[in-house]
Formats: sequence, structure tokens, C-alpha cells
Amino acid sequence: MTRYPENTIIDLFGGEMMTESTKNVLEERLSVPEKQIPDFFSPPDFRILVAVSNRLLPQDGARKIDLAGMLDSSLASKTGNGWRYDLMPPDEDSFRRGMNGIEETSNALFNASFLSLPETRQDEILLAIQEGHPAGATWNELPASLFFEELLVALTELYYAHPFGREEIGDLSVADKPGWKHIGLNQLELREPRSL
Amino acid sequence: MSRDLYKRRIPLLPIKHLMITGNPMKIYSTNDIVDAVIIGTGAGGAPLLSRLAGSGLKVVALEAGKHWNPRMDFATDEHSQSKLFWMDERLSAGGDALAFGNNNSGIGVGGSTLHFTAYVPRAHPDDFHINTEFGVGEDWPLSFADLEPYYEEVENFIGVSGPAEYAWGAKRKNRYPFAALPLNGAAQLMQRGCESMGIPTSAAPNAALSAPYFQEGYGMRPACTNRGYCQAGCNNGAKSSTDVTFIPLAIKYGAEIRTESFVTGFEKDLSGKITAVIYHANGEERRQKCNNVFLSAGAIETPRLLLMNELANSSGQVGKNFMTHTGMQVWGQFEEDIRPYKGIPGSLISEHYHRVRDADFAGGFLLQSIGVMPVTFATQVARGRKIWGQALKECVSQYNHTAGINILGDCLPHSENFIELADEKDQRGLPKPRIHFTNGTNEKRLTAYAEKLMKEIWSNAGAKDIWSFNRNPHLIGTCRMGNDPARSVVDKNGRSHEIPNLFIADNSVFPSSLSVNPALTIMAVSLRTADKFLELKNN
Repeated sequence: MTRYPENTIIDLFGGEMMTESTKNVLEERLSVPEKQIPDFFSPPDFRILVAVSNRLLPQDGARKIDLAGMLDSSLASKTGNGWRYDLMPPDEDSFRRGMNGIEETSNALFNASFLSLPETRQDEILLAIQEGHPAGATWNELPASLFFEELLVALTELYYAHPFGREEIGDLSVADKPGWKHIGLNQLELREPRSL
Repeated sequence: MSRDLYKRRIPLLPIKHLMITGNPMKIYSTNDIVDAVIIGTGAGGAPLLSRLAGSGLKVVALEAGKHWNPRMDFATDEHSQSKLFWMDERLSAGGDALAFGNNNSGIGVGGSTLHFTAYVPRAHPDDFHINTEFGVGEDWPLSFADLEPYYEEVENFIGVSGPAEYAWGAKRKNRYPFAALPLNGAAQLMQRGCESMGIPTSAAPNAALSAPYFQEGYGMRPACTNRGYCQAGCNNGAKSSTDVTFIPLAIKYGAEIRTESFVTGFEKDLSGKITAVIYHANGEERRQKCNNVFLSAGAIETPRLLLMNELANSSGQVGKNFMTHTGMQVWGQFEEDIRPYKGIPGSLISEHYHRVRDADFAGGFLLQSIGVMPVTFATQVARGRKIWGQALKECVSQYNHTAGINILGDCLPHSENFIELADEKDQRGLPKPRIHFTNGTNEKRLTAYAEKLMKEIWSNAGAKDIWSFNRNPHLIGTCRMGNDPARSVVDKNGRSHEIPNLFIADNSVFPSSLSVNPALTIMAVSLRTADKFLELKNN
């Protein structure tokens, strides 16, 4: 796994290498506090979403991206992403019913709440959903693998749109003010981070 | 003029001189009977808007989105730039259900050109008669010769950068107006892989400037700074989207652009001619009286509007013949530092496989190198590789060592691929469009051939962990042009077979997909449609 120095992007905020519009967007994203009370999900569903997010995009450092909170906000605002699979119910229904389905599968397989299971068991449940044939009545109506795909893609987008996620992969595209002159193979400019 | 500028290489002006020059815009009353209302301001609507305004007609463009100021409004950030994409929900059906949203149709002055990759090869002469050549698909009622002067005009006017000599297609009468853009890492890798297999490549034609250019009606446009976010909106006017090319010219000539105006219907007289366009703006319904209407809302919204209003469809062809392109991508990881966010994403091309000897498929494809933005890459890994958890994070962490190639190839029309109105309503109370798409045998064979080829190229270029991602880009067909009114919606001049003052100019009129990216051809057809309309009007 390639690693890049922490705070590479944060350190750009005070300098001359980032356009105002990019800085504004990133600062706003950084300033959102971790969500305690969900606006869209019920508190029990939200706790499941938090646990699922931790398995789909595990975060082990001290800095955390509030994936569940951001997804909750996006669903509450009904922003939408322009399309859905015709086989799926509207996004709001799909995400609510999906959280319920995860709990159902957990109860059916391990006779326990998803929240109380060890990570390996949680992963087994998520894999069963991804593969499309999990236990639980919800999944008779909600196509499990499409639900899984949409949830994973939504969380992945939120993760790598966040400055912490971008920093993690060495994405310095946000240093967008002067433009790039050295664009060929192995041509790095001074402001580009080197892998640690 | 552009050729002279290129030779002189005018120096870069300070940024304050590069702002939109701001010709005052003419404003019409909704009671003025304007000569034409144009619905949409992208590659289909903007060229003809400027042409009609330039010939002295009173024209109003209705645009569903806003008129952005890219310098102030565009961030180097995919998430916030989703404002450039059409986000009214579409229902995606079929065996290869298409992803919409951040993937194709645009909104805002400039339409999809706000986020197009700016890859602008011309179609080949044989693209226009695929049925004559292979016995499948549909011939165009137009030939390459009909469009050639318009290709030339568009390339010179919007500023296309390309190689001194272009190896494929009809021989060019003139060079590209600007020198090719520099090759980024992905392009160098594709060059390396292809060279080892004897496959010729070339710097690609791109609608982005390699040198500054004075754009009439707009002012100075600077050269591309290699920022790499073409698909999320260019922030300095180097990319030749219509908001910095045809639209400012149209405004200079007296066109009015009405933004945040969403068209829902039409008024007709007893003879069936359209007399006004009904639209929503500022929370109220308005009507613009007019003598002619041009629909340029793209291959989904154009047929949707006709279907909702039961217009121009006695052939039953509206919404039918929906096509995309075959567009498989192959990704790999390399030792080299690539930084896929740098440079124009598609800087290399090969059209060596435009036709493949002894192939088991009709048509062909081009090969393209791809740089990629981080969120696009990460979500494709999630969707395409179906990995998650630590495995997903590890794959995405190789971002700076990742490069891709893709094809852009033919897609035939099939009866099961079409657009219809769903019962479900959107936030405006209008029926959502349902789009059915499944790749047919020809698409599958072409893709299988190309996948094997691309994996070999990538392996020879030094890639490890090679994987493919199948996708179908671009929305094409649904209101095709043709000579037979029973099998098409508009004639070869874009005019409805049924309603004499209704015209369509966008990707929906394409009878076949063509084996190249559509934007340049959409613009060329748009200018031709305008000229034919003016001929008709003046005779």
C-alpha cells in the first residue's frame, strides 16, 4: 500500500497553490462535525450504517471521515445521483430497508444484532448480501447485490472526495493554481508528495 | 484566423483580461414572436443558435441549468462539480443498465460540453454507411462530404489541438489549428505498449487549446494548464466547451439565453404547427411565442419531451434505436509514478482498429489512453472489481501508479434498447424516463476482441494487476434522421417529418453510433441543420 504524508492537503490551505473555489469546497467538507443524531435514518439504523461503513471502508488512524453522517445528510437533502436501477425502489426506501435487511440477515445467521458481532462475522453478512442470496425477508423484495453495490459506491465516493481520503492516496490535484508543467512518467513537481 | 494566431503565439495576458468580455445580452418579451426557440445549449443547440443569431434572426435559447462563471464557481473536486450533470432521476433497465448522473448528460449553459473529455476525432467516411458495408445497423442520409466543411469550421472556430499529420480517416484538407497537447503518463505507457506490438499511435485531437486564442465574442482563452479535470469542468476556458465558444458568439449576435428555464410543452395551431414553447422558470409557467423550435436537449430529454407531448411520433420511432458506444476500459498498475490527475485525460489515440480484417463483428473502434480523477477511479474500482474493505483501499492507494486505456467503438441499434416514459413521476410531476439497454452480439464480440488486445498492450507496457471495466458511454439515437418517414423522426436536415417548424439537432438524430466520440459530429450536424434551415427560410 502506497502511503503519503499526512496534512499534505491541509498544509496547502494557507498557501498560493490552491484556487479559492477549491479551498472553499474542501474547507467546508472538513468543517462538518461528526453527526451524532441522524436526520434521515432512525438512530438504530444509523448505528448499523456506522458499523457497515467501518467494514466497507475501514479507518484505523486518529483522523476519521464521517461516512455515515455524510450519507445521512445526502439522503436527508434528497440530492439524488441522477439515476437508479429500475429493479430498485427509490433510494430513500432502498437504504432504509437495506439497514433493516442487514439486521435480519444477522439475526437469521447468528441470532444476534449486527452491532454485537465480531468483524469477521460482520464481513460474512456483508459478503452474503453482496453475493445476492442472504437470509432475511427484506431481500425477497430488495435486490441484495444491487443494494450492496449502491451503498459501497456511495460510501466510496464520500471517502475519496474528502481531503483525508485524497491525501491517503497522494492525490494532489487540489494544488490546482499554477497548473502542471511536468506531466510525463516519473516527472514530479516540487509540490507533489513523495510516497513514504 | 486561428491559424494565424497559432503562428504568432500571442503572449498570455494577465488573468483580469481573460474574463468573459460580457457583450450585453438582448432580451425578448414572451409576447414577441421570435424566429426560433432553441431548447438546450450544449453541442447540439449552441452552434445553430450562433448561426441563426448571426444571420439576423431573433432567437431565444431555453436552458434548464445555470450560466456558470468557471473561474469562480468550479472547484478541482468531482463531488461538488456534480452540479454539471443532469440529476433528475432516470430509471435504468436492461441487461447492461447504464449509470447516469455523473456519467453523461449535462446541465447548465454549455450542456454536456461542460464535462466532456474534449476528445474530438472526426467520423470516417465509411461510418456513415455501416449498413451498406456490413448489412447491419443503419446508414445515414448524410455523407462525410456533407459534413466535412462543418468539421473544418468547428475545429477552427472552437480551437482543436492535434497532430501535424493525422494518420486515419479521410485525408485532411488542412492541419489542426493548434499543435497537439503534451502526452501525459498514461499516453506514454500506451505508446510504449502499442509500439512493442507494431500498433501505430498518434497524439489525439482534443478540443482544448495548446496556445492562447482570441475567441470572438468571448475574449482571450488561455492555453490548457494540464489540470486534468476536463470531466469535472474546465476552470480557465482552455477547453472548448460551448459556454466559451458558440454561446458568447451567439450573445454577441443578439441571441438571448434564458437560464433555469425547464421546457415542458408546446402550443400548436390548428394546422399542427408549434406556436409557443411552454416552460417553467422562477416557479411559474411561461410561454414563448415563436415561429420555429429546435430541440437540442440530448438523446434522453429530447425524446422524453416529444413522448410527453405526443408529438412528431406517428412513426412510433421516438425513443427507439437507442445506442451508446462500446467503451471497455482496461486498468493496470505500473512501477512508474503517473499522477493520473495531470494532463488532458485522453492525450493519445490509435484508430488502427477502425476496421479489423476477418473480424466476427461489424464496425470497429478507436483506442484511447486515459488519465483519471480520483473519485471516478475509486468508484469504478468499487463497482467494477467488487472489492471492499482493506482490499478496496489497497487498490485505490495505487492511484498514482494507475493508468488506463479504453476503446470507443460501434454500437448497433436493437429493438430492445429504447426510452419510454415510466409511471413514476419526478419532482416536477413529470414522468421519469426509463432507459433500456443491453449489449447485443455485435457489441459483445467487438468488446471481447478489444479486451484481449488492450490487456496485451497493457501487459507489454509493463502493467501489473490488470483488470477490465465494461461500460457504455454516450447516449445516441432515439429520434433518428432518415429519408423514410416510417423509419425515422426527422429528415436529413433535422426537420420533423410531421411538424414543419420543429427541428432536432443533437445526438438523438444519429442513425448509427459512429466509431468515434460524438461531440464534434453533433456540432457539425448542428451547423448544417442551421444552414439548411436558413436556405429553406430564404427560398
